[in-house]
Amino acid sequence: MVGLVLISHSGTLVEGLRDMVAQVAGDDVAVGIAGGTEDGRLGTSAPLIAAALRSTLAASDGGVLVLLDLGSAALSLELALEDFEPPDRERIQVTEAPLVEGAILAAVQASVGASLAEVAASAEGAGSMAKLPRS
Amino acid sequence: MPELHLVVKDPSGLHARPAARFVQAATRFESRIVIRQGDREADAKSLIALLGLTIRPSSEIVLAADGPDSEAAITALAAELAPYLGTPT
Repeated sequence: MVGLVLISHSGTLVEGLRDMVAQVAGDDVAVGIAGGTEDGRLGTSAPLIAAALRSTLAASDGGVLVLLDLGSAALSLELALEDFEPPDRERIQVTEAPLVEGAILAAVQASVGASLAEVAASAEGAGSMAKLPRS
Repeated sequence: MPELHLVVKDPSGLHARPAARFVQAATRFESRIVIRQGDREADAKSLIALLGLTIRPSSEIVLAADGPDSEAAITALAAELAPYLGTPT
């Protein structure tokens, strides 16, 4: 099954999101989180991201999809990804998808046994998902 | 093509959790499965499509399936979603 790694500048944000994902998609999908800095401030940390990637990869035979809250997290993610060599690096995919909607959609897709490419496509669809009821 | 008319019982409508259960259950079947509300239709195997319908509580929906296991799919989905969806009285 594909796992998810959720990266945010806030630890609280990704902890809450992980709870939401588990409620909606169930507990079968491994979800790693990396939020905030190592000393608990707002920000991102390459070592925390690398640790979340490592543990989630180990729990996910189908690979891992990574979602970010803001573009500045991508710099820490890049550093974290330098720790990974093929074949592990090839089992990690990063998406532009919005964090909250993307995580929910990706997790449900992962929970039905979809491939990493399918899970990523599902997350990307979140960008154009309607939220307000159409009248 | 078997179909079933249902009323959304859940006071929150078809929100994320039951919609996700729906997708997980529908994916087990080969048939094409849709939910229709009025003139709009969503693929029951796609969470984006289902949530896009924004189905409100007490609204009527139609669950329909087309394919080799369509009868089984309708029966199973109706049973699984009974806490959220009821048959119209």
